[in-house]
Amino acid sequence: MGALLLRRALLAIPTLAGVVVVAFLLLYVAPGDPVLEMVGERADSATIVRLRKELHLDESLPRQFAHYAGGVVRGDLGRSFITGRPIARDIAERFPKTLELAGSAMLLAIVVGVSLGVLSARHPGGWIDRGALALAYAGVSFPVYWVGLLLILLFAVVLHWLPPSGYGRPVFLVLPALALGSRSIAFLARMTRSSMLEVLSSDFVRTSRAKGAREKVVLLHHALRNALIPVISVLGLDFGSYLTGSILTETVFSWPGIGRYVVNAIGRRDLPAIQGTVLFLSVVFVAVNVITDLAYAAADPRIAYD
Amino acid sequence: MPPSLSLLRSRSSLSSIALLALATLAACRGGEAAHRRTLVDARDRYDPKSLDPALSTDVPTGRAVSYLFDGLTRFSADAKVGPALATRWDVSPDGRTYLFHLRPGVRFHDGTLLHASDVVHSFTRVLDPANKSGRPWPLYPIAGARAFAAGKAATVAGLAIVDDSTVRISLDTALAIFPKLLAMPVASVVPAKISPDFGEHPVGTGAWTLVSWQHDDFVLLARNAEYFGGAPKLDSLMIRIIPEPSTAVAEFESGNVDLLYVPEADAPRWEQTDEKKALLTSAPALRLWYVALNTTRGPLKDVRVRQALNHAVDVHTILDKLLGGRGRLAAGVIPPTLEGADTARAPYAYDPAAAKRLLAAAGYAKGFDIELWLPQDPAFARVAESIQSYLAAVGVRAKIVQRESAAAREASRNGQTDMFVKDWYADYPDAENFLYPLLHGANRGVGGNVSFYENPAYDRIVSLARTEQDSAKRVTMYAKADSLEFADAPMIYLFFYNELYAVQPWVKGFVAPTIFNGQKFLDVTVTPH
Repeated sequence: MGALLLRRALLAIPTLAGVVVVAFLLLYVAPGDPVLEMVGERADSATIVRLRKELHLDESLPRQFAHYAGGVVRGDLGRSFITGRPIARDIAERFPKTLELAGSAMLLAIVVGVSLGVLSARHPGGWIDRGALALAYAGVSFPVYWVGLLLILLFAVVLHWLPPSGYGRPVFLVLPALALGSRSIAFLARMTRSSMLEVLSSDFVRTSRAKGAREKVVLLHHALRNALIPVISVLGLDFGSYLTGSILTETVFSWPGIGRYVVNAIGRRDLPAIQGTVLFLSVVFVAVNVITDLAYAAADPRIAYD
Repeated sequence: MPPSLSLLRSRSSLSSIALLALATLAACRGGEAAHRRTLVDARDRYDPKSLDPALSTDVPTGRAVSYLFDGLTRFSADAKVGPALATRWDVSPDGRTYLFHLRPGVRFHDGTLLHASDVVHSFTRVLDPANKSGRPWPLYPIAGARAFAAGKAATVAGLAIVDDSTVRISLDTALAIFPKLLAMPVASVVPAKISPDFGEHPVGTGAWTLVSWQHDDFVLLARNAEYFGGAPKLDSLMIRIIPEPSTAVAEFESGNVDLLYVPEADAPRWEQTDEKKALLTSAPALRLWYVALNTTRGPLKDVRVRQALNHAVDVHTILDKLLGGRGRLAAGVIPPTLEGADTARAPYAYDPAAAKRLLAAAGYAKGFDIELWLPQDPAFARVAESIQSYLAAVGVRAKIVQRESAAAREASRNGQTDMFVKDWYADYPDAENFLYPLLHGANRGVGGNVSFYENPAYDRIVSLARTEQDSAKRVTMYAKADSLEFADAPMIYLFFYNELYAVQPWVKGFVAPTIFNGQKFLDVTVTPH
């Protein structure tokens, strides 16, 4: 396991180096001038020239890249062009909030999605199964943005049960987690259902039923454990969609996380903030993939990476 | 026991869990709205850049800065300039020297007394290249300011401390609007000693002090009981940052926020419901919507073509149908509430036949192809689409090019756009703030003149008006310049938009500001509800 971890960590370095290069180049290809965003609507060319020089934006592309990459290697993500604050501090302030949201959404998706899947598989074609199918179609089809607005309208404006948006007590977490998790709930429910059906028709389930095990034990102890293996790998792969989904969810629910931070940074062409966040999120993504691989190996003794 | 197991136990437990959950949630819902003396303002879509006045270039930043700090002068809600940290000022006969007399006994939030040296230090700081201030231009009229900003001088020659309560500011040339420039957020006075993270922990003299700033979430301010202008009546002011307009509306409808900026595209819907209409308040904002016509590109070089485009578009219907009639048709760039506006001048009449005649005279009887640019904004998009169809009716085939805001702005400043739908919101209430940046030859491109309009006669009048000391003469010059440019039609004149706010019935004393930093919530109260 240790060797596997080390090998995966080493492999991540070229991936991340690639991310640094691509993130850097893409921003120079994209239209929109960071200095024009700094100075606002009415500006004077002397200030623009001065700022461009101070931010090293007047230098050649390779030199700018060397300047940036040098900082990254030293662990310095630089300061925001717009706010002057250190990027690392901005990320440290916001990422835990995104993690809180994504984690809750994931937990919700697992609990609700797997439960629905198991219930559906128990009586295929029954009312729970059909209801879950309808819910799954809805969850997969509706964009998270729209689901979010509908949830606000229903639970906050009409029913007054929950606050419409904002960050704070756990009650603020319910709607955004539901919106962000909705797609995953649907997906996991369908995955668990088909996986369960497959397992339920296998020999060892028939055997455990034949030896007189109770239905609950058969379902949860024997079948579900085996059915969960593909579900775990899907969860890991899905983590990326939680991060990207958080961009929209955080905007709809005024959640002060990293998704909104990067959207704002892009809108203002805040190059160090965009590059720093993209790099950071890539590190997180790579780390989650490694963890998924390890969890997969742990869950299924047949899988070995050597 | 994991929840999945309890769910499995029976169907009835599923519904009981749901009921329990809902009951808990209902118990949690906010009764916060009742009996507080905090006003929650939901007008801002994004976080202030910083609370350091030197970095203020946008509305959320400028507004927050103006709660925490004061300048020598300030704007009232109806956009009149008046005394703030300076109680009065004397102007020399040649208009080049200002003597500002500071209000005695003003203290910063940390208790230190305000001195004349703080004023000089504050202005020097904004101009100092080391501070990366994006907007030093309001202070450029000060003698020696440009040289200092360029690193060619050790001090700003035009700033002098006369005594502890008097500051003398000398200008390069006379500039009648100078006291208005000093009411802009960037000209706020900060203490001489400031912490390295001043933008996070600001110390000003303003009506409000900072309690807490949670980025992208809220800024919480408390009343400054010692405020020289009289302490605010509310205990605290919370600026909530809500990026999605529909969410802000939901917060307002749930009673969690007290003040809302009604999005332009939503205005008609709000005005159609009596219940909602009762909550609306409005002021003629200093905000012009227009289509900049790049006078250096293709057919737009011809004044007859530009006039034809003005005649081709039924602006009245656009304003009425798309923006609920919230505004006044523009016949020039000076808002009707400002001196210099000729309210008798008629806008270009909607007259497709006249448009066709003008196009034919210019050699475009069969029309032409052209690009109509706009930034991403739902209200602009609707306006652009209707303009496109009006232009099509006279044979002008406009292709809509919608780009993300930063990209669209850059293209327009670089002169790459034929027509560009945009608006202009005044920084200070003076006709000069429209005539000079939008259309003066010196400001082509980044300065704000994205029509790339250049008319020596116009430039001369506007430049002279800037230095004219006699206000009656100056106003006449403004009006003259406005009529010159109106005839040249470097834009499709749309309208001056009246901004719309929704205010909860329990809020008293809120006056919609004409200029963005003109409302400091000093006299606003929240009654128990």
